[in-house]
Amino acid sequence: MSQTTLSSPVSEPRPGENTWIWLIKIVTGPLLIIVLGLHLAVNHYLGTMASGLMTYQDIIQYYQNPIIPTIEIIFLVTVVTHCLIGLRGIILDTNPSRNVLSIVTWLLVILGVSFVGYGIWLAVAIASQG
Amino acid sequence: MDITRNQPSAGRFWSWFIPIRRDIGSWAFALNRVTALGLTFYLFLHLVILGKLAQGPGAYDEFLVLTENPLIKLGEWAVAAAAVLHGLNGIRIILTSFGVGVTRQKQLFYGFMAIAIVVILFFTARMY
Repeated sequence: MSQTTLSSPVSEPRPGENTWIWLIKIVTGPLLIIVLGLHLAVNHYLGTMASGLMTYQDIIQYYQNPIIPTIEIIFLVTVVTHCLIGLRGIILDTNPSRNVLSIVTWLLVILGVSFVGYGIWLAVAIASQG
Repeated sequence: MDITRNQPSAGRFWSWFIPIRRDIGSWAFALNRVTALGLTFYLFLHLVILGKLAQGPGAYDEFLVLTENPLIKLGEWAVAAAAVLHGLNGIRIILTSFGVGVTRQKQLFYGFMAIAIVVILFFTARMY
């Protein structure tokens, strides 16, 4: 993960981190702040439970608007991408060998694709229960 | 300030968690990573738990009862606090990445952390 340490001049890609990958992480960051804020507000404050959480029926009803699962899927892709690029950056901090880094990269890609696929399936499954 | 002192390696991973003789830059660096790891773990746990929605109302509403457990609430609080800290520390990183406030990183860090404390206090009051 590229990171300023307050003693280094600016954040920049680490050795082994492609500039475009680094840029994706930097761009998805502020996007996530906005979408995560909306996600938290809707799911934790606007539900019918006393705590503000949504019940099963609230969620099914909420997902009947096609915009909602679409936004949630975009959110999922963004957050998984940001997380896994960040995780790879943290692993880069430990100076892995090229072989280890290559294996880690592929494992993270497989993990990311699997979770995005699972999330899309889940969003569609929830929407179709209405 | 020695830049290399702030760069972790596999052997120094645990040093992120040792708060002795640590300058503010190291705190910002460690805070970003520790919150990132915690949030990544939570994200995948959250996705797995949401799978209960596909099992029908019984399974999901049973899980919702668990959310009233004080330990689970504390976990939720920690996740929200980590998200606020990581997000605001991240804004500082983005700003400096594009050349904004590079010479005032300490002030930026203190400013964003002050905002984080206010936000955390707000939702703490809301949760409890």
